[in-house]
Amino acid sequence: MTMPKRAMFKKVLIANRGEIAIRVTRACRELGIKTVAVFSEADRESLHVFLADEAYNIGPAPSKESYLNVNKIVEVCKTAGVDAVHPGYGFLSENVNFAKALKAAGITFIGPTPENIEAMGDKLSAKALMKKAGVPTVPGSDGSVESLEDCQAVVKKIGYPVIIKASAGGGGKGMRVVRAESELESAFRACQSEGLNYFADKTVYVEKFVTDPKHIEIQVFGDTHGNVVHLFERECSVQRRHQKLIEESPSPSVPPEVRLKMGDAAVRAGKQISYIGAGTIEFIFDNSTKEFYFMEMNTRLQVEHPITEIVCGVDLVKEQINVALGNPLTFKQSDIKQKGHAIEVRVCAEDPVTYKPSPGLIRACRHPQGPFVRVDSYAYPGYEVPIYYDPMIAKVITWGETRTEAIDRMQRALTEFILSGIKSNIVLHRSILKHPKFIDGSYTTQFLEKNFEVIEPELFKEVDDQVFLIAAAITAYNDRKSKDVRQLNIFSNWKKAGRRMQLRMQ
Amino acid sequence: MYFEADLKGQKYKVDVIENRSSWKISIQKESDAWIHYEISKKDYQKTESYFSFLFKGVSYMIDVVGQDTEYTVFTRNSFQTVKIFNDEMLLHESLKRGGGMGGDRELKSGMPGKIIEIFAKEGDVVKANKPLLIMEAMKMENEMRAASDVKIKEICVKQGDSVESGQILIKFEDPA
Repeated sequence: MTMPKRAMFKKVLIANRGEIAIRVTRACRELGIKTVAVFSEADRESLHVFLADEAYNIGPAPSKESYLNVNKIVEVCKTAGVDAVHPGYGFLSENVNFAKALKAAGITFIGPTPENIEAMGDKLSAKALMKKAGVPTVPGSDGSVESLEDCQAVVKKIGYPVIIKASAGGGGKGMRVVRAESELESAFRACQSEGLNYFADKTVYVEKFVTDPKHIEIQVFGDTHGNVVHLFERECSVQRRHQKLIEESPSPSVPPEVRLKMGDAAVRAGKQISYIGAGTIEFIFDNSTKEFYFMEMNTRLQVEHPITEIVCGVDLVKEQINVALGNPLTFKQSDIKQKGHAIEVRVCAEDPVTYKPSPGLIRACRHPQGPFVRVDSYAYPGYEVPIYYDPMIAKVITWGETRTEAIDRMQRALTEFILSGIKSNIVLHRSILKHPKFIDGSYTTQFLEKNFEVIEPELFKEVDDQVFLIAAAITAYNDRKSKDVRQLNIFSNWKKAGRRMQLRMQ
Repeated sequence: MYFEADLKGQKYKVDVIENRSSWKISIQKESDAWIHYEISKKDYQKTESYFSFLFKGVSYMIDVVGQDTEYTVFTRNSFQTVKIFNDEMLLHESLKRGGGMGGDRELKSGMPGKIIEIFAKEGDVVKANKPLLIMEAMKMENEMRAASDVKIKEICVKQGDSVESGQILIKFEDPA
């Protein structure tokens, strides 16, 4: 990165936790910026607290009372004397009130303008704006549906299957796919309630659900000088309940000419709203027709940003800071080329068979290493994964000259990952990565639901059952033995006395 | 030391003998023949936080979590829970089993979380696959449904309660 033209920030507060807080801390440190961490009462021992220069408690464990507490965080910003805030992803990253409160306090928000967030945060007005910019969109309610009756009327017009979404939702929360009339009512109510609980907004809308869809998104970047550039695509079709699990770049399904069209559409989208900073235009991509439709824009850094960083050779967090300073982008569209192939897997504290979260104490933890492997993680031995937040604890990213090499390298990296005490989905990832539909790239967003069956013996077949038995038996033996020894030496004074007597007699 | 073990619903007999420099372990699956292993203590070593186990030429890093009669073994990102009893424990377990009258069942939480909503009340008869309650854990709302037709005997939690893994949420009795 070339020397910024404006004076660098001196101190940045990172309004987040987990791996992304650490990711931002790293960029700041490389730029010579002091970092301030914030933490909830459940996160005193979280790694982002140790790695920052300063750290402040912002309240009780539930997100609403800590990481989503705008007033408290702005207050800490003033106490610590920061000149900017990086929101990471999730939490307050797309919260207009937060961006406005910082602006009022004279603190720079490292992200888009409140107007950008507002324009894209409401998915309905976003869709209308995109239509205006000539970006293709999906048929649907084109506005909120107030009642179940309104919803039924729209569905009658567009036909099943449909998807109901909370306007303010994201990250898989507040969304339901409905395939039959009988499921409509409960899905409608659930979206309203999740919207209200997680995003304080119960507005929902409904649209056609594309049957063989891929999730393909374009990374864009805008600056305060009117430039908008795209950094090509990421494919994120390996999803469960709309939560991404594996992402790759480039997509194996997008032909070169469509890739350019998608990039152009994304740049048009960004220019339509004079977008500033890092953003992502998400498209539904029909794998049979190669048509794509605008889904939504995320006005923040994404979880899966590292694969773009690696394939395009750009540090996106540093670029966010550069743009927030008011400097022009450090690259032009013609500078951005995709080199090789990158894959990311999200390692979550959850049971790979039942998918149930598995928070708790991490006993052993050793991260993968070696060539072309990047690990963004906040796990360490002795850390207790709290129940309050997202189950993702680490991301493993690998690069390869070709897609095959990137996949092989990921398999290799995952075999090196040692994690015990909590259950993780690492074996599930290894199993997905060798599935024929993943290998040939034809997987869609319904891959896990339709094509992939979790078979426990398959997942765990690498280990001989005798190994489990022997390890358990030796441990049980040692536990019993130490108990017996204690009983013998401490608790049974009669035995002790008896032995002494015998010794005397001899 | 002689044990009876249960792994994935299969019964094993296991005998463990500790020598100065090796473990002698014999395993019998159901009614198969006994298999005997002699494992050098050099091949089953405690390192900083886990065991390094060389078994049939294959290297495993192993961690064992648990106590008394239940151990979860982690290795190569696989894990299995092994139930294991020796004579004294076997006796204890059989006494506990004998104490139950049958018919009583319960819904336990599989993970720590928070009760968002309860749909049933005490005395209700709930049909199989109908929702009982919604529990939130790690940002997801999970609907817990009845596994079979049941009558609610007791609801042990209320809306807003935080619950631990394994905590009893609802007690059932057979309907009719």
